[in-house]
Amino acid sequence: MKIDKDLIMQGIATETELETQIVLRNFNFYYGKYHALRNINLDIYKRRVTAFIGPSGCGKSTLLRTLNRMYDLYPEQRAEGELLLDGNNLLDKGVDLNALRAKVGMVFQKPTPFPMSIYDNIAFGVKLHERLSRVEMDERVEWSLRKAALWTEVSDKLHQSGMSLSGGQQQRLCIARGIAVKPEVLLLDEPTSALDPISTMRIEELVSELKDEFTIVIVTHNMQQAARVSDYTAYMYLGELIEVGKTDDIFIKPKDKRTEDYITGRFG
Amino acid sequence: MSTHNNALHSYRRFKNRLALTVSMLAMGFGLIWLVWILATTIELGISGLNLNLFMHMTPPPGSHDGGLANAIFGSIVMVSIAVAVGTPIGIFAGIYLAEFGRHSWLGSTTRFVNDLLLSAPSIIVGLFIYELVVARMGNFSGLAGALSLALIVIPVVIRTTENMLQLVPNAMREAAFALGAPKWAVIGRVTLRASLAGVMTGIMLAIARISGETAPLLFTALSNQFWSADLDKPMASLPVTIFKFAMSPYTDWQQLAWAGVFIITLGVLFLNVMARFVFRAKHKQ
Amino acid sequence: MVALNEHVSKKFDAELESLRSRVMQMGGLVETQINTAIDGFMTGDIDHLEQVIADDHQVNGFEVSIDDDCAHIVARRQPTAGDLRMVMAVSKIVTDLERIGDEAAKIARMAREIYQRDRLQIPRLTDVRKISNVGVAMLRDVLDAFVRLDANEAARIVREDATVDDFFRGIMRQLVTYMMEDPRTITTALDIVFIAKSIERIGDHAKNIAESVIYIVKGQDVRHIAIDQLERTVNATEH
Repeated sequence: MKIDKDLIMQGIATETELETQIVLRNFNFYYGKYHALRNINLDIYKRRVTAFIGPSGCGKSTLLRTLNRMYDLYPEQRAEGELLLDGNNLLDKGVDLNALRAKVGMVFQKPTPFPMSIYDNIAFGVKLHERLSRVEMDERVEWSLRKAALWTEVSDKLHQSGMSLSGGQQQRLCIARGIAVKPEVLLLDEPTSALDPISTMRIEELVSELKDEFTIVIVTHNMQQAARVSDYTAYMYLGELIEVGKTDDIFIKPKDKRTEDYITGRFG
Repeated sequence: MSTHNNALHSYRRFKNRLALTVSMLAMGFGLIWLVWILATTIELGISGLNLNLFMHMTPPPGSHDGGLANAIFGSIVMVSIAVAVGTPIGIFAGIYLAEFGRHSWLGSTTRFVNDLLLSAPSIIVGLFIYELVVARMGNFSGLAGALSLALIVIPVVIRTTENMLQLVPNAMREAAFALGAPKWAVIGRVTLRASLAGVMTGIMLAIARISGETAPLLFTALSNQFWSADLDKPMASLPVTIFKFAMSPYTDWQQLAWAGVFIITLGVLFLNVMARFVFRAKHKQ
Repeated sequence: MVALNEHVSKKFDAELESLRSRVMQMGGLVETQINTAIDGFMTGDIDHLEQVIADDHQVNGFEVSIDDDCAHIVARRQPTAGDLRMVMAVSKIVTDLERIGDEAAKIARMAREIYQRDRLQIPRLTDVRKISNVGVAMLRDVLDAFVRLDANEAARIVREDATVDDFFRGIMRQLVTYMMEDPRTITTALDIVFIAKSIERIGDHAKNIAESVIYIVKGQDVRHIAIDQLERTVNATEH
């Protein structure tokens, strides 16, 4: 039972300014005729970790994949409403998807290193958007691998295939690949569900470090992970956003009974 | 194990052994013929194996120091051209089917037509090229031969390319798109690269297949007793030469025919084994 | 808001239920301790007083083992929201109950001393009886509020503590007058002041428990805020 946090915080440091990076307003999403996401209103803040939680099929991955227009790959999927990134509506016709995806990166559930060397894996994304000299590219590769806490393990074998790494390492490689293009936002779709507990912890640790520089949105079906890792949590159910708020508040005193039922395990 | 299950147990064991025996016998039956063919080929072909084979041209009947040089050369030339022409077409079509036309009507139609071509008798292909090229040109030619072989290469390469590309998990494509790659980069730099081993295997198998095709060549390249590197003229090839020599009453020609069979068999065997090696090595990663 | 419908994990439900019922058991024991101690003080029954002093170790044992259970639940179940608040609150409630138990033992010890010293001149016992009734009622009511998760009742109990404090001051004044009238009664009177003080403290602990109950139900920490604000928090409609 805590004393009002603000009283303590006032003497120590001011919390850094909260800026909004992504805004969803009256956002709806359809798979063909199926109304998958209903009237979502959500703010995602800069340089904070926001987690989407909810039971299977609630739409959290669907919502995540709209943030970088991934659904564009599939013609029957469409979105309506407002989806603003730094004030620009991403649903406009003229949006340059490749540039968008350089700004909003994504890491998937199953680690998918490309069939190339570790170096080339990381250089792949960078080459698409920037012209770097050999030296600059080397530096960028090293920077990404360091940030992803993988450098010390692979610095002597950059030429080896990305597929020769262990599962946890492969996922960190995918994260390094994602941040190499210096995005502003990083979308993580259940990044640790295919990994063992130690690798999971490492990646959670990584997320905490990365949030100083990137805005992170993470989908997880593991509530404790959301509690450990995120600043803000959004609970979704059947395509609707039930409740969103500071993670501490959601996990200690949620406002909506449905949220409470889910996080205490009173319904599957 | 409790004893009251013994009857059931031994019945099952018997069934197991019976099925195993029948399978082994069937396999044996199949293998016997294969081994017999190979043994015969080796036995009859190896005696005709000497350096002359590669040095001398196809001889008139009765001479003792002929070879198969022009036939071997002709086969190599026509197969190479066929592969050079057919592979790019096949790969691009395969890419279209796997990456763009998975659900479109054009894709389905193409796939259907391709399946027909794949199982079309090669003699029909030969006749088609005869009508299209030979009749127009007025003469048989090595080029026509190469083209007919190309028409056999294309469906094989399309099929394997499409299958191999489809095996690449969608997650990998999405990962590439998520980095902001345009579609051609995703296909060229990621998907194709991931399926390279399989595509190469498909090409090798196509080569193995056309190396032994005789029927189409009969109507297109015909054959040539002498050395010819001219694509405008009839060109000798191993399969046709074997056909001619084997059907003849002359023993030295028959000898050469067997030697030719031996070479082709060895070549095809070698290509198949290579294909398997390449595929397995790349997939071990 | 604390949901009382079932967890998907029945074992978890059983563990929480066991926690709650053990708190009630401890509360019941502590209540008995107080009543016995006060009875002993009123009637002079030394055996009763000895019993209370001896049984205090049972109360302590409860505290230790219930705290242990709380730690187990946190480690194994990672409770959240209402469950988390319940477990955290139980840990605190159990501390308050143990202190109440200590006060009861203290009352018994002081009563025993009084009776071993002089059996005469026990003044104004009725007021002590009255304040102890209020204190015991507070304890019983707050345990009831805990089991029913009744925040309104808990808020009422918080307010009630003021009554006990007033009562105590009243007794103080009377005893001071008494001591001034007859200095021979000072020792005894002082002992009675301490007994009354113990009861006043019992009231404070009951108030703490009530604040814990409000935390479980409302999720708000209402310690150290004015009673009006507390009541507003409790009455605020939500969910």
